[in-house]
Amino acid sequence: MIERHSLELALPGASIGAVAGAMAGGLTLFAGVPAGLAALSALAFAMTLGLFGGLYGVLLGHGLFRPGTFGPCGLYWMAAFPLSRLAQETLAGTGGLADGVPGFLVYQAMVGLGFAIGFVWLHERLMPHWLIRLAPANPQAEALLGLYLQHAQALRSSRASRSPRNSRSSRKGARR
Amino acid sequence: MDTSKPPATSAPPVEDDRVWKAGRLEPMPIRKLPDAPPSVHILGPTVFLVALGVGMGESYMWPRLVLLFGPEIRWLFLIGVTLQAVVMLEMARYAMATGESIFSGAARVFKPLMWFFFIVAMAVYIWPGHLSAGAAALEEISGIPWMITAIAGLVLVGVIFSFAKVIYNLLENVLSLLIGALVIGTAVVAAMVGSWSDVVTTITGMFSIGYLPAEAMTAAWFPVIVGACAFAGPSGMQQMWYTLHLRASGAGMGAHIPKVHGLRHAGEEEAMPSRGFMFDTEDPAEMAKWKGWRRWVTFDALLLFWGITMLVTISFTVIAQAAVRQNPDVRTAIQGDDREVALSAMADAVSSAGSSVLGVIFLGFIALIGLNATLGLFDSFSRGQADMTYNFVPGAKKLRMSHLYAGFLWGVIIFGILILLFGPADGPSGILDTLAFLSTFAMGAYCVTLLLVNNRMLPKPIRPRWWSNLIIGFGAVFYLGMLFYSLFAFGVVVG
Repeated sequence: MIERHSLELALPGASIGAVAGAMAGGLTLFAGVPAGLAALSALAFAMTLGLFGGLYGVLLGHGLFRPGTFGPCGLYWMAAFPLSRLAQETLAGTGGLADGVPGFLVYQAMVGLGFAIGFVWLHERLMPHWLIRLAPANPQAEALLGLYLQHAQALRSSRASRSPRNSRSSRKGARR
Repeated sequence: MDTSKPPATSAPPVEDDRVWKAGRLEPMPIRKLPDAPPSVHILGPTVFLVALGVGMGESYMWPRLVLLFGPEIRWLFLIGVTLQAVVMLEMARYAMATGESIFSGAARVFKPLMWFFFIVAMAVYIWPGHLSAGAAALEEISGIPWMITAIAGLVLVGVIFSFAKVIYNLLENVLSLLIGALVIGTAVVAAMVGSWSDVVTTITGMFSIGYLPAEAMTAAWFPVIVGACAFAGPSGMQQMWYTLHLRASGAGMGAHIPKVHGLRHAGEEEAMPSRGFMFDTEDPAEMAKWKGWRRWVTFDALLLFWGITMLVTISFTVIAQAAVRQNPDVRTAIQGDDREVALSAMADAVSSAGSSVLGVIFLGFIALIGLNATLGLFDSFSRGQADMTYNFVPGAKKLRMSHLYAGFLWGVIIFGILILLFGPADGPSGILDTLAFLSTFAMGAYCVTLLLVNNRMLPKPIRPRWWSNLIIGFGAVFYLGMLFYSLFAFGVVVG
């Protein structure tokens, strides 16, 4: 049951990763790769990105990442993105490794940082909606949702403490 | 139910008689600064600046210059975007400290300065030019004539913003998804088509400070470079509008200002105060909260704004370089003045290499960028003009801010449709060119305005540091200097 609860948290990240990976399928055709190999390439990238995307959600549920913070997520994708690309090139090579593996990995790590921005951005949009659905039957989701609610309440209370508008002041120049 | 005790988290507002006098306008009452977000939260109003800023400069102008003059020309892009990141931080300083827009700040310094921006916005942003590139790209993909898409887009924007309960929330959600898709998509494209050597040349090019080939210093190309510098990141008045979005998101003292509603829900809107608020800058606890807000916005400026702008531009440059490798004719096409021809040549080049998919994806991104810019620009323009009208046109307070917002929104939409139907027939590009001079001039002017507002209208403890003033001062010289050099040396304004 615990595993199922963890796995349920993986869905938003896995979906983002899988869709991004599938996009790459069309791009491999760019290099004149036959359709079969292009499909294999898309599958390899979609699966690995989906896997890492889902793992991010699970680790978020275990408190290893904090919702909405970029730093750890950026580091995570700097490692995960090059590995996904390497897996894709190994399974269905499209000539990406022509410049050598070290150069390839460094380049992909750099792109991975950019990918992380988009990933966190979308994940933060999708995850709270998913957690609301899961929370009644999933204690991990409920705890994580609590963190999101805490943040929302902090923002709301700052707005709630707003002063009455248009209150005119009687004593001018007190601070200047 | 016992309602006599307020909940612990929302203490009743403490009335404070003190005020902060800034300029000749109404003084700002001293109120509590809200707590900064508990974590450096990624979702801030920067989404608007990114949506507005990532546009033609990143997807077309700079890749084009790189293909023509080599990657070394990108040092000017680095300067442009870095400058814009500092401008963003300084715009945020005033907006978060007071809850006022930078337009109100300008009025506190010298009212005609604010009217100057009001007039520039009217002159520059009523033209529907920004719609044309995205609509033209959509025409390439779908075959639907660009004018139909553009007019349908205009009406749709008007209807959506009129029916939204709180405009900011709707726009933030829509733009967030679109920008997220754009960022992930460009990262994947760059990962697939680029290589380490492309990035090495692109990045080392950014540090070739001072590189300007002889051809760049001609009447044909220097104005184009000036235009590209102005379009590196947010151009024209977009940074000024960002202060309105910061306020609407409740950042800093913006929490004390109500949100603008859509026309249909205008009756639910709270009365808009005629001035902002200030916090007690002599209270260490308040200053600690201020530092938290500055950290929050600095993260936004550096990672989201600077990072995404760089990522998108590098990706598009890498795509353009790949396109030229595949089809050298692209270089010739891109040298021409017609942006649509150049964009479609780039798309054709990548398509002809083996699949039409990348060509469609390329044009899809251009359409997406156009859509983002359209949504963001219409909202921002209407928000800015409504803000200035409400606060500074006598009698305007009889109306609600939502009514003024809707008036400007539908005004610009109807004018846009008329121009598209009966305006200049020389294609969409003709509309954009006249914007460039005024846009660039406004950028130099807002740098000067920022220096005056932040150094004269804010209490000393929260004024900008010397190095920040130096960078903003450099910005004024950079934009105005290039603009007037182009005007006097070549007799041409901006290309």
